[in-house]
Amino acid sequence: MPWVVLHMLIEIKELSIKYVGRKNPALEHLTLRFNAGETVLLLGASGCGKSTLALALNGLIPHSVGAALSGRIVVDGLDTQQATVADLAQKVGIVFQDPEAQFVTLKVEDEIVFGLENLCRPPETMRAAVDAALAAVSMPDAGEREVFKLSGGEKQRIALASLLAMEPQVLVFDEPTANLDPVGTRDVFALIAEHKARNKHTIILIEHKLDELMHLIDRVVVLDRTGQIIADGPPREVFDRHVDALRAEGVWIPQVCLLAHALRECGHQLDLFPVTLDEAAEVIGRWAPTAFHSSFAIAHRESVTCASLSRDGKGQMVIDEEQAVPFAIDVRHLSCVRSGRRVLDDVSLRVGQGEFLAIVGANGAGKTSLAQHLMDILPTPKQTVFIEGQDVRDIPSHKLIERAGYVFQNPEHQFVTNSVFDEVAYGLRVKGLLASEVEAQTNAMLDRFGLLRLARANPFTLSHGQKRRLSVATMLAMGQRTLILDEPTFGQDQRNAKALMELLRDLHREGRTVIIITHDMALVAEYAERVAVMSGGKLLFDGDVRELFARPDVLHQARLTPPPIAQLAERVPALHGALTLEEAVRHLSLVTGHLQMTSDKE
Amino acid sequence: MQTIYKAGDSFLHRLNPLSKVLATLPVLAFVALTTDPWTPLAIIGLNILVILVLGRIPLGRVLRILALLSPLMIGFLLIYPLVVRRELVQDTPLLLSLGPIQVYQGGLRFGIATALRVFCLISLSLPFSLTTDSSDFIRALVQQWNLPYRVGYSAMAAFRFVPMLQTELSLIQAAHRVRGISNKGGLRAQYDRLKRYAVPLLATAIRQAERTALAMDGRAFGAFETRTYFKRMAFTPRDAAFVLGFWLACALIVVTLAHVGLLGSLVLLQQV
Repeated sequence: MPWVVLHMLIEIKELSIKYVGRKNPALEHLTLRFNAGETVLLLGASGCGKSTLALALNGLIPHSVGAALSGRIVVDGLDTQQATVADLAQKVGIVFQDPEAQFVTLKVEDEIVFGLENLCRPPETMRAAVDAALAAVSMPDAGEREVFKLSGGEKQRIALASLLAMEPQVLVFDEPTANLDPVGTRDVFALIAEHKARNKHTIILIEHKLDELMHLIDRVVVLDRTGQIIADGPPREVFDRHVDALRAEGVWIPQVCLLAHALRECGHQLDLFPVTLDEAAEVIGRWAPTAFHSSFAIAHRESVTCASLSRDGKGQMVIDEEQAVPFAIDVRHLSCVRSGRRVLDDVSLRVGQGEFLAIVGANGAGKTSLAQHLMDILPTPKQTVFIEGQDVRDIPSHKLIERAGYVFQNPEHQFVTNSVFDEVAYGLRVKGLLASEVEAQTNAMLDRFGLLRLARANPFTLSHGQKRRLSVATMLAMGQRTLILDEPTFGQDQRNAKALMELLRDLHREGRTVIIITHDMALVAEYAERVAVMSGGKLLFDGDVRELFARPDVLHQARLTPPPIAQLAERVPALHGALTLEEAVRHLSLVTGHLQMTSDKE
Repeated sequence: MQTIYKAGDSFLHRLNPLSKVLATLPVLAFVALTTDPWTPLAIIGLNILVILVLGRIPLGRVLRILALLSPLMIGFLLIYPLVVRRELVQDTPLLLSLGPIQVYQGGLRFGIATALRVFCLISLSLPFSLTTDSSDFIRALVQQWNLPYRVGYSAMAAFRFVPMLQTELSLIQAAHRVRGISNKGGLRAQYDRLKRYAVPLLATAIRQAERTALAMDGRAFGAFETRTYFKRMAFTPRDAAFVLGFWLACALIVVTLAHVGLLGSLVLLQQV
């Protein structure tokens, strides 16, 4: 926007922040400026200090959080270290990741006036402020609703409304969609778009679901692990020129940018480096003519629907005449009612041994309930869930955990000892193995998961990615053939998420059954063979991943959105049917190969 | 937080929470002193009437709540006659004699009276708990009874932690079960288990508390010594009418019972 005179709103000078009790500073000598009206995306690997910076912007550091701060942050003329919390709250508002934790009261209206009351605004002005704030988040009639009954997306709208009431100039969103399902995420992005369009705020975003967001971003700032800026500029420049540095840092990159890079690596130059879905659709559509698409549409990976058929029968129990090997998991007409609500409604699902299944669906659709019933974690009725042909209710729990592992969403929940080594060895010791065997097997497992050098560390001191790997390792230590994971990539940076998923893929290739619960459709498209869609406690869809993304009706009903590449493929005929980056590249190289051939002939 | 409150707009719902406390507290204290079965019975009746008519709580719901309390009542009824001091009741007819167990009519009467008294005390809390929004209560305490607002709002936030911690604890228990930790074992095993739950539970609680605190501070909580209130809590003539009316009705019951000689001695006056 060259006609807008850029006016500096936030100036960060030589900022260093070190938390009490930490060895390394979270941020060091950071110098950065934000201009009024900009929408800035802040990227960085986990632990790089993004959230620390956000908290420093509205003075929560150092006013509320114990940390040593040096350097200066000036927001619209106010030095955050000298200004009061009250003044800063009217300059910078932060929407946090966890919608539950940021509410103080029980009713929407109370929540919105909370800040105004703290600022001692006259009560008679508050009605108008509440109405304006609710209108600004398109929920004009929500005042009387209870905050805990709102959907995830609505909660974030109300969280924003309660900040808008205080009329801040700067809005910070710190991973606002991390806890939301795909449609809730879209809802929050739409909200951000509305506010950008109003042009009243400077918006700073910390987020890693990028593709549906990029059209809003004016500028990208990337921090490295030590809190230093490694790239700062318009999205096109950052994702085009600095991609190697970003990759090395494990930072999330929009899929369309990765696609453009992949094409470039194959020797294809696009006339514009795309950063948004719109741009990608246009540039790639122009470059790869439509006429050739149909012959390549079918070119996609062969899907193994039931890998168990190809493997020889190890199980003793035959439960299906045609099937010599019992299903890894067989759910028959499972229903479950919890506090008056039908959480699961007549769900039947069979998972063959060696399958890779993703369970997807909106928040509260019953995914986790279903998964927990598979392991009898939630009380399961008799004759409804069978593991390897045997009713889970008939398997003693110490035997059950040798057959299947369950990784909870929060890895910390599952740590039961004081060292990484003991964590993995725990199950083996319970099983009664000899000390030497325990040691050998544990070390092998730790080695495989890259945790060997941390064997003596306390599990709670590990990094997020390490904790997650450890929790997976503990669930495989006893040689479990089935692994169930609840949101395995939650809160992880790109590098850790990818490492974990590759690990799961390896386990799957070894013949293990892997079941993941996830909101990340790109993950589903890339790794899962089969997908089960839950909606309102019912199994809405069960089948091939590709088939799911070709069913807009199912996606809509289950509040899901196709992965970015699939969205692109809907608009670019040459990409028809592609779901993942790899497929998209293959489609395009085939098309261009074909092009090459035809032009050679001419 | 899981409470038995349900929103509504009945007379009781619209009362100031504090007037409900004011109305019931003296009655509560008095009933605690009674020894006869009739006073609690009459006050229970009055309470149910208040809940049904002034609170417009459906009868079915009231009965369900009362039914929940019945095991407690039955417990008092069964145990009291067995543990009552013998010299208090041995003048009354013997109802049952089973070896060392001897049940006197007086003992049974004590049991009934005590059960009713406890029942009455609980029922006295119902007009408040069934119709009062906890945030309104805290608001009233802060605005009218000078509870420091920082304490009040912190209490409100802490309330919300209870269900969160419950969910979290059951999650951790489930997560540990999957690790192969059985729920069996003696005291020692119980202790070890609790110790294992403590770390992840505390970690979550602290993290959550930190997040809530940041969200509150981020909206200028505690910036000034006072704050203003969108929703002003005040006593209205309606509140005065309710408090006085309730006291009057209770007094009437007590006087009537005393008049017909059914009001037994009070604990304070009783010779023990």
